[in-house]
Amino acid sequence: MRGLLGELATGTNGETMTITDMEASIEHMSRATIRHVDAMLMVTEPYFRSLETVGRMAPLAQELGIEHIWAVANKVRSPRDEEIIRSYCAEHGVELGVVVPWDEAIQEADREGRALMDYDPAAPAVVAVGGIADLVEGKAGSNGRGDQG
Amino acid sequence: MKVAVAGKGGSGKTTISATLSRLLARRGHPVMAVDGDPNPNLGVALGMSRDRLEKMVRVPKDVMEMKEEGDVRRLVMARPIEEVTAEYAMPAPDGVDLMVMTGVDHAGAG
Repeated sequence: MRGLLGELATGTNGETMTITDMEASIEHMSRATIRHVDAMLMVTEPYFRSLETVGRMAPLAQELGIEHIWAVANKVRSPRDEEIIRSYCAEHGVELGVVVPWDEAIQEADREGRALMDYDPAAPAVVAVGGIADLVEGKAGSNGRGDQG
Repeated sequence: MKVAVAGKGGSGKTTISATLSRLLARRGHPVMAVDGDPNPNLGVALGMSRDRLEKMVRVPKDVMEMKEEGDVRRLVMARPIEEVTAEYAMPAPDGVDLMVMTGVDHAGAG
């Protein structure tokens, strides 16, 4: 994939929102790919090894000059879960974008091989991801493409 | 606006990518969802039919080529992007388009 990602939105239509489901980690990605990204969402679960991945990715993303970098807390079952992620992010200087709660609807949708959006568009996790959409829309409006090629 | 979604395997990044794609599409944005995972399953998470998923062709590596500019190596499109999306993108629910990338070459990893 590499640089294709960078070309996608600019090459087709500046208004296109390109959402790329990356490899598990960005550590072995070439700079050429990731440099063209406007925003990076780092999805993490509330346990240490998952958070460590964020801890490793965030400095790399910052170094590459990605403008908007957010952690997304996922599968959060309790205030304690949320607190673990909040304090890790605070310690590592990572902005926590959105907290997505643990949601049985995701497992149910998976079991049926359906999209969460089709299984239950009002599920708590969908509502939370709506918060990510708000963030992305907000930044898209404020700085447009912001690409230096 | 180009958004990359990363995270440890099993973190739920695919479900979040798919849901985010569909929500943005419902809000009226043109959305291109790109599956860059070596084990692609974004199509299922988007709610594409098995039929359509089986017809998907991964975008081959040779749509990009490496260009040397001094001591900087850059990947550039070998074919116009419009041509690539026209050939490889498949429609998913809510008007999202999906492209699946060919697994990247770091065979030694993992």
